[in-house]
Amino acid sequence: MTATLAPARPEATAGRATLAALAARETRRFIVNPVFLFAVAITAWTIWAGRDPAVTDIDTVSSYPAIFLGGFGMMATFWLTRSMRASEPVVGVAPVTLPARTAALCAVAIVPLACGGLALLGFLHFHPVSGPAYGPFSMSARIAVLAGQIMVPALGGPLLGIALGRWVRFPGAAFMLFLILYGWVTLVTILSLWHQDSAPVAVLRLFAPFAFFTTTAGNTADVTAWRGSPWFFIGWQLALCAIAVLVALLRGAEGRVRLRIIRALAIGLMLALILFVLAATGGFPHAVTA
Amino acid sequence: MVTASIGLREAGRTFGATTALAGVDLDLGPGVTGLLGPNGAGKTTLLRLLATALPPTQGQVRVLGLDPEVPAERTGIRRQLGYLPQEIGFPRGFTAFAFVDYIALLKEWAEPAARHAEVRRVLDLVGLSDLGAKRIRAMSGGQRRRVALAQALLGSPTVLILDEPTTGVDPEQRVTLRIVLAEIARTSVVVLSTHQTEDVAALCERVIVLDRGRVRYDGAVTDLTGRAAGRVWLADEPDPAASVSWRTGTGRYRNVGARVRDGVEHVEPSLEDAYLLLRGGAAEHEPAGEVAS
Repeated sequence: MTATLAPARPEATAGRATLAALAARETRRFIVNPVFLFAVAITAWTIWAGRDPAVTDIDTVSSYPAIFLGGFGMMATFWLTRSMRASEPVVGVAPVTLPARTAALCAVAIVPLACGGLALLGFLHFHPVSGPAYGPFSMSARIAVLAGQIMVPALGGPLLGIALGRWVRFPGAAFMLFLILYGWVTLVTILSLWHQDSAPVAVLRLFAPFAFFTTTAGNTADVTAWRGSPWFFIGWQLALCAIAVLVALLRGAEGRVRLRIIRALAIGLMLALILFVLAATGGFPHAVTA
Repeated sequence: MVTASIGLREAGRTFGATTALAGVDLDLGPGVTGLLGPNGAGKTTLLRLLATALPPTQGQVRVLGLDPEVPAERTGIRRQLGYLPQEIGFPRGFTAFAFVDYIALLKEWAEPAARHAEVRRVLDLVGLSDLGAKRIRAMSGGQRRRVALAQALLGSPTVLILDEPTTGVDPEQRVTLRIVLAEIARTSVVVLSTHQTEDVAALCERVIVLDRGRVRYDGAVTDLTGRAAGRVWLADEPDPAASVSWRTGTGRYRNVGARVRDGVEHVEPSLEDAYLLLRGGAAEHEPAGEVAS
């Protein structure tokens, strides 16, 4: 035993420095997560494999980043959030509070968001927005469709995984939620194919963290754009992201911090509702085929 | 300089209909205090109250003059606290160094060089300096216990709460741990719960015996041991008059009891004898003493 017993503790550098260091630590842990690494690899591969310039339907390719970066990213952050649960008797009495730890975890979502950004750039490289595969949408709306399908789910999925990890004990919760969301999006997309002009069906289709806006079903030459505003849909998605962060932060929050989070959550829910209504009522009033 | 102190006033904790701790009054200062008691006596609950892991359902707890029920004050306590819980799990894939380093980060050691030096220091204290790179899952039970202990020693805390720190730890390491704790206890409040009476005898100036959530004894270790003087004897057969008897390595029986017959062969009592005597109810026959009601 050669160590000294002299107190070595410096002045505690609380606050931002600790939060930044913790966020960096969690980010490193997330980056080496096998599920996330697999998600990044498979996303890159699907974009590369779907590079055929003659593609007439962007949906087949644009949904993969959402599935892998968003869905698998959700499972990876869920695992990351739960990973210290066994050590909670020790971690729970550390000066860094649970909401601060949650905030550090939320910072991790920058990584899948950046991957989503790269995936979007790759997608645009192989499928320029000027192409016919985007249907009758304007240039800006085409960008909005892709950002809402590729980038925002890459952010939202991991944030949802953190919220889930903070509140749900069941270890398979993230996988279950992934299946539920996948099933829901599939169901409402099928309904939309059957009832392309239906306003209620459009509402159901957009009531999800991911939505398709075009289809070529039944006719490979023409692209049909569905009802709904892609820009407001991004707003709805981002509001859902904010809600996920606030719900995650609420766990363990006390006193004034808790009140602030609850107030912000109420605002977020109102905002989400407004943006959802705008997304459902905006855009084309009916399905348009180009 | 503020003297490290802990105060409990009528502190209690219930879990549903079960009372784990009932109206405990205690004042603890620098030094090592041992907590003894049977399973379910309330030792872990008391330590969790002191470690701010659990709020009391009645009474008051003050640690270093701060109220753990006030969030800002609780954080203030936690900045000066080291806590080793009875049971702790470790995250998958972590090495000993990475785990202690992670906890150091949660204890606000943001500066990497100082943090790493501190992690190395505490791993060295528990004799794990060579095993820092080893995955915790691949370690033995005793080594894991030492990893858990290392995180509690981070920053030489002013209040150190240890719940069965020597479980699974080999004798050599237990001696090392005693040296470490004795040094820390010069300025810090160290409270440890254990079933190993020899650890309490070797390390603690003060012992608290809990039973069914109440303080049964609170006083000096030597005083408790002294209470068993003349009540421990050896015999060739188990003595029916004894509260407890067991066969020793010599083949003779060690008897502990309040009712001692004449002419028996008395031996020097240990803390364990005194504890067993207390548990056996013999102390209730005492005319006066430190046995709490």
